[in-house]
Amino acid sequence: MTTFAQSLAGGNEQDNTQNLGALPALEYGLIRAHVFASFAGVVISVLFGILVATKFTFPEFLGGHAWLTWGRLRYNHTEGILFGWLGNAFLAFCYYVVPRLANRPVSSHKVGWFLFWIWNFAVVLPGWVLVLAGFGQPLEWAEFPLVVAAFVVLAFILMVFEFVLPFLRARLSDLYVSGWYIIGGIIFTMLAYPVGNLAPQFVPGARGAAFSGLWIHDVVGLFATPFALAIAYYVIPATTRRPIFSHFLSMVGFWVLFFIYPMNGTHHYVYSAIPMAAQKGAIVASAYLGVDVILVVSNLLLSLRGSSGIASKDLPLRFTWFGVISYLVVSLQGSLQSLMPINRFIHFTDWVIGHSHLAMIGFPSFMALGGIAHLWKRIPGTRYNERVMNWSFWLLAVGLTLMVADLTIAGLVEGQVWQSSAPWIDSVRAVRSYWLVRTLSGLPILAGFVLFWTSLVTGPRLSETVTSGNSREASENVGAVENVSPVSDKASWTGWLSHAHVVAFGAGVGFFALSFIVLAIIPGKELEDEIKQAAPVTMATLTASEQRGRVIYGREGCAYCHTEQVRSLAADVRRFGAPTEAWETKYDYPHLWGTRRIGPDLSREFNLHSRDWQLTHLYNPRLVVRDSMMPPYPWFFAGSANQPTQEALDLLAYLESLGRARQLSGFERQALASSVQSGTSDMAMAGEPSGRATPPTVPIAMTGGYSPSAPLLHPASDPDDLQEEVSRGGTVFVANCASCHGAAGRGDGKASASLLPKPADLTAARFSDERLSSVLWNGVAGSAMPPWRQLPTEDLRALFAYIHSLQVADAAPPAQEATSINEGKALFAANCASCHGDTGAGKGPAGGVLAPAPTNFHLKKPTEERAWDVLENGVPGTAMPPWRSQLSADQRRALVEFVRSLYDPPQENSGQ
Amino acid sequence: MINLIVIAISAIMFALLLVWWRWPAFRAWIETPKYSMLCQERRFDDQ
Repeated sequence: MTTFAQSLAGGNEQDNTQNLGALPALEYGLIRAHVFASFAGVVISVLFGILVATKFTFPEFLGGHAWLTWGRLRYNHTEGILFGWLGNAFLAFCYYVVPRLANRPVSSHKVGWFLFWIWNFAVVLPGWVLVLAGFGQPLEWAEFPLVVAAFVVLAFILMVFEFVLPFLRARLSDLYVSGWYIIGGIIFTMLAYPVGNLAPQFVPGARGAAFSGLWIHDVVGLFATPFALAIAYYVIPATTRRPIFSHFLSMVGFWVLFFIYPMNGTHHYVYSAIPMAAQKGAIVASAYLGVDVILVVSNLLLSLRGSSGIASKDLPLRFTWFGVISYLVVSLQGSLQSLMPINRFIHFTDWVIGHSHLAMIGFPSFMALGGIAHLWKRIPGTRYNERVMNWSFWLLAVGLTLMVADLTIAGLVEGQVWQSSAPWIDSVRAVRSYWLVRTLSGLPILAGFVLFWTSLVTGPRLSETVTSGNSREASENVGAVENVSPVSDKASWTGWLSHAHVVAFGAGVGFFALSFIVLAIIPGKELEDEIKQAAPVTMATLTASEQRGRVIYGREGCAYCHTEQVRSLAADVRRFGAPTEAWETKYDYPHLWGTRRIGPDLSREFNLHSRDWQLTHLYNPRLVVRDSMMPPYPWFFAGSANQPTQEALDLLAYLESLGRARQLSGFERQALASSVQSGTSDMAMAGEPSGRATPPTVPIAMTGGYSPSAPLLHPASDPDDLQEEVSRGGTVFVANCASCHGAAGRGDGKASASLLPKPADLTAARFSDERLSSVLWNGVAGSAMPPWRQLPTEDLRALFAYIHSLQVADAAPPAQEATSINEGKALFAANCASCHGDTGAGKGPAGGVLAPAPTNFHLKKPTEERAWDVLENGVPGTAMPPWRSQLSADQRRALVEFVRSLYDPPQENSGQ
Repeated sequence: MINLIVIAISAIMFALLLVWWRWPAFRAWIETPKYSMLCQERRFDDQ
């Protein structure tokens, strides 16, 4: 066997070169076409990203149009980066490098152009349009609809024909590591992509999530990473004119990558219902991967030894060097993130978003830029403008660094807030400024990409026949190539060694299949058995309306802000309820677990909010939650929150189905009973959760439901302290309550127009301490009033004091005639007691099934005007009817006097 | 199963290192492509 190394060692370069035959032709037209398509792709994708980021700060921005809503733009941002930018850039580099490495042209010029058209006009462009039109699917890195996914698979088959066949026709024993990465990237992505897209459609819930998790990571590990490393391993030696430090280490890195990376995916679902063995396997694989990355990066950096001068001056090499450093940082970051003590704190936060941007821009994008710049100055007729490209580098580097640092800090802030019992919206408020910085940091990134493209089209004009500027240097430096001991043709082991790559490749495919068996199929079987045992027999499938709502939920990208999985963590359980169990996801095709929380988890949404609250919130979230950054969905309504279309009702139906099976089956009642019995106010899993669904043992903090442990609040007795409390309470009220109750507490906030029953006019009644404490702690069932028990105690006390301060001082009661009171009492017994009870305590025979519950007049004293108004008009949205047609004015006046006379709160204002 | 995978991958890595350490000819063989790549690059540049 004669190798290139032997040829070089032989010293007769001319002969050796002749032995290699004529140089293969390169497809320069396809290279240029994919380069330009890649820059169209990246500019549009980054614009999508900037629009998405802007909506974090200005949620109403372009908020009135379905095609420009946050979720759809977000889908297109990531898919555009993946297919439009990186896909085209990698293809351009493949057309440049495959003929060089295989010493053969790519398989077909015509197939190349067919692939170009498929990639851009059957995948990228229609994918974007279909997602904007509302046909996206809620699977991370697989958001383009299945019809587009079919063309992606076709494109990868064409890539095998175009790029892999030339390698197979060549001798694999001489194949350079970049060639291995290209082959591996194409084949493994071709295998993994359909699984990530299709499996969750047919395998529900937790079982499908196990497959989905694999693809989430495979897209980085088996697509972006191999092509990016292929570029790095090519650009570095081609620029420095020195061989890489060790081809052996590069091959070890290659195989460990392909063995280990597919095992990583489940680390996106640590602390989930997926079996712990699979979670731990993914964590171990993640740690292993960190070791592999250190090996690969060390090899690449050692390959640059003694070339610091070139690296600082040569722009393609500088881009590549930045990519190598980013690869090291992001990979070690990824390994750390998978570790449970860190994962429990930062998962779902912006930290992970920073990590993702470093992963996709810092690493493969910089590599792609380096690769494009490298080939651009070597193909005929093209050169780049160095000054402009230099600016591009710095804009991209500074913008990305700022973005990653900003999001990392934002993630830590979010994690800190989530660990506390502060309301969810506090975490949104806490990172608003970080989101603004993130948006601004996207601008230099966009400018960097635009300038890079500008540098390609403003370079010196050269004729097609001009050769590389480095040709002379190449000829001079090639003598510096280290000699190597020739491999003996007689060595018997070289025979099987030449096939070792084939064996190793088979092993790679085997490990890839093993990853699905170990992390998806076996856990899936275990989950299936668990579901069979645990799922209540009464668990119903979704209705047609709920099913349609689920599709809407998916296409609008709701799952990218709201998870549907409560993890087995104290902070999660305290906030959202018991951990999600696999059986709860039995009918979820595909799963909607999500990997990010901008809004709260929704898996326990059943009975949490009233229907009018939900509809108002969908119409415009800021009507009910002042500081929400959720996008509005006005196209689901015919002009107002009171006029929902069928789509809004479907989405509402789906939201109201979340957690229903669990509550109806009695799981939550068991949890509550258990916690009350044990007297615990915090969860018993504060130590280390097992990662398996843990039996719930705590009261549900955020979800609705009456908690018997409501504390009795009192305003401060000291006037100065009271003043301070009222002042603080005013701030809390404006931030959390004014959108419904109005700034002055008169029940006339922006949301009041679409809420039934209307928000309470807090100036129209006197509430006892017990009643007000209970309302703040438990909310008002049957109304839009949520429980606020997650507020810090100081805020609750302050809010309590402020609401008391709103109540109009009760004038001295006029002397009431006994006959009037007696008449009122008789009328009350005849007309009102069935609901309000004989004593007016709200405990009549019919009261138990009414929501909101009938008023307890011992604890709430309406003003005369309010009581009169209620008797005149009833309370829309409640069971209280108008009485003006049934009772005379005098009778109603007697009733008003009677119910006001009932106010008799226990221990009023004890001052403690 | 996970332990088995970790052991298998570790064993493969150590086996490769052992082969690399014990057989210089293997080293030469495995390092060959890094020179061939440069040779090919030079051919293209000389075109």
